[in-house]
Amino acid sequence: MAQLFADTREDLYRYLLTLGVHPPKAQESVQEVFLRLYSTLKKGEKIENIRGWLFRVAHNVGLKVRARQASEEAFAPELEIRLTHPAMNPERELLERERMLRFHSAVEGLSEQQKRCLFLRLEGLRYPEIASTLGISASAVGEFLRRALARLKKVRDE
Amino acid sequence: MSSFRMRHPEEISLVRYLDGDLPAREARKVASHLESCSQCRAEFEALQSTVADCARYRQEVLAAMPAPPAEWRDLYRDFSRIDESLAHEPFLVRLARPLVHAGAPRWATAAAMAMLVVLGVFYQLRQTPSVQAATLLKRAIATAEAKPRPVHRIRVRTGKLDFTRVVGPQAPLASAATGPPVEALFNIEARFNQAHYDWNDPLSARSFEQWRDRQIHTTDEVSTVAAGYRIRTGAREGEIAEASITFEASDLMPVEERIEFRDNEWMELTEIAESTTESAGITVTPEVEVPVRAAEPPSRPAAFAPGPSASISDELQVLSALHEVEADLGDPVEVSLANGKVLVTGRAGLPPGRQQKIQAALANMPLVEMQFDSLQPAAIPPQAALSSAGGSATPRPVIQSRVEKQLGGRAEFEHFSAQILDSDEDAMKRVYALRTLAQKFPAESEPQLNAKDRELLTALSREHAAVLSQKASTLESLLLPTLSSLGGTAALAHAAPHAAWQSAVEDLFRSSTRVDKLVSIMLGMTPSDGSTASLPTDLLSALKDLQSNLDDCQRLMAK
Repeated sequence: MAQLFADTREDLYRYLLTLGVHPPKAQESVQEVFLRLYSTLKKGEKIENIRGWLFRVAHNVGLKVRARQASEEAFAPELEIRLTHPAMNPERELLERERMLRFHSAVEGLSEQQKRCLFLRLEGLRYPEIASTLGISASAVGEFLRRALARLKKVRDE
Repeated sequence: MSSFRMRHPEEISLVRYLDGDLPAREARKVASHLESCSQCRAEFEALQSTVADCARYRQEVLAAMPAPPAEWRDLYRDFSRIDESLAHEPFLVRLARPLVHAGAPRWATAAAMAMLVVLGVFYQLRQTPSVQAATLLKRAIATAEAKPRPVHRIRVRTGKLDFTRVVGPQAPLASAATGPPVEALFNIEARFNQAHYDWNDPLSARSFEQWRDRQIHTTDEVSTVAAGYRIRTGAREGEIAEASITFEASDLMPVEERIEFRDNEWMELTEIAESTTESAGITVTPEVEVPVRAAEPPSRPAAFAPGPSASISDELQVLSALHEVEADLGDPVEVSLANGKVLVTGRAGLPPGRQQKIQAALANMPLVEMQFDSLQPAAIPPQAALSSAGGSATPRPVIQSRVEKQLGGRAEFEHFSAQILDSDEDAMKRVYALRTLAQKFPAESEPQLNAKDRELLTALSREHAAVLSQKASTLESLLLPTLSSLGGTAALAHAAPHAAWQSAVEDLFRSSTRVDKLVSIMLGMTPSDGSTASLPTDLLSALKDLQSNLDDCQRLMAK
């Protein structure tokens, strides 16, 4: 459990930040997710894919936190600057930086559901897991991903 | 689907194949098609590298995120507490309710909502008393730190002794005020040291927590008592067999504590209400050698300071100025008359930016004194808003599932819930603001106001009522379709007649808090204390009551 916590907490934390949750709340949420995992396992419930479970619960917690901080701005670090700032990636070639930026704006242009499907998939969740996280069907997940990838593929081809 | 060999697979099949989502048979077909069709292979490879780009991009984004602001907690302690008391069922139902719906301070809506949500999580987590205890202690410590008490007096009773003690970081060293022989005190201190319990400030959440954290095997019990919340912790080893501490419900200040030693000796500590020491507030107006100030805002017109003395008219002006910067809508700010001044108190939790705004808004007003409890924006609910969320582990209340089903899914529910919470919160802010006005300026006080003041009072209250009315309609239009299709019907509203809007506001307050409570039950943010079968009807009826109370208020205001 300690190992799992150490391995996964930063991933979950960063994932929550990308949902717009502010850092202190994100960190607190991650800790709560683990407490929840612990008591779930303690109660003898079976969890097949623990990482998937963690992201699923974190995602839902994150959205609730976001809903509650509706009056505040979402947490949105200036990714454009960070992604392209040479000091951040000294080894990164100019061309590559531009490509990242293009990619970034394409991703920003995706629908909310497309993004969520994509990001959860990149965290290693399978379609059914993504589906139950988002409350949609697995085939809808496939469809969202297809549209997202089709759109991003165009950026590559540009 | 049966003729992949002849036809090119659709893009969706390629995506699903790439993601391993195709059933084995179809996956084999796609694989063999890809072997033979270079066009599809190219398309598939493009997909693959798009995914690889995505992954790289995502890595960049995640890496660009700031590091966690604090050290990660050692979760083991929490784990072992979960272990210890998994058998017990939580009773946060009872814990949550008085926090929000009983004498909540006027400004506390937002914080209370957040608390509700936090408590909601713990309930859904099937949170055990030990975690409740830890949470409560954490909150009490945060509150105490936000509002330090340099010196306070406690009464200490044991089987043989009964004396008063002055404690706190700035307490004089020879602090035993009266009574007990030195060696008796010395023995007590030694005993506390041995028990690893801080004798310097024994009646405090921090000392309790420090002791509790040192214990290997503890059992906890959290309950609501008349005075507030009580945590009772039993320890299997060590000098102390059991300790219980009680916190005031409104501000989480410790008020009493009982310690049972292993050898059956005991000690009781009771906070003595202070009248001479003042909290370490930051006083903005530097004048006056402030004489004695009561701990609680004293009852109104208290005029004994020399010179001109503030009246309720000044108080109204201050409230109006605060309203200009919306500091009457959810900010932890209280206004009262004290010592011939209008005392404006900003409690912990007020962000520095808001504080400056308020100071600026009141800068030129005479007879105003401002106090801000703490500069640090101490979190009153430390982990603000965590909430329920469906892991498979957390059984969701029936009503929530019904609403979700009615709306068509999880995502819709989230959206619905966010909209409702926004309107509900806005409405509640207005209700509290309106109630403040009604309580501060009851009908019988109006003759003390001049015509202009009365106009101002009417304008302020009408504005709150108008916004409230708008928010209530929004709530109703959001809720009505869903709740009606779940079988809800609004019962007839019954409004008692009132002579003045001020007294009508009390009814309005009651119906609004009822709406507020039912909404949070419906959204799964607070546990329900019974069946939710009648919730659609209850909520629609409560809304109707609210509307009718509000109509009544507005009618009286128009007079």
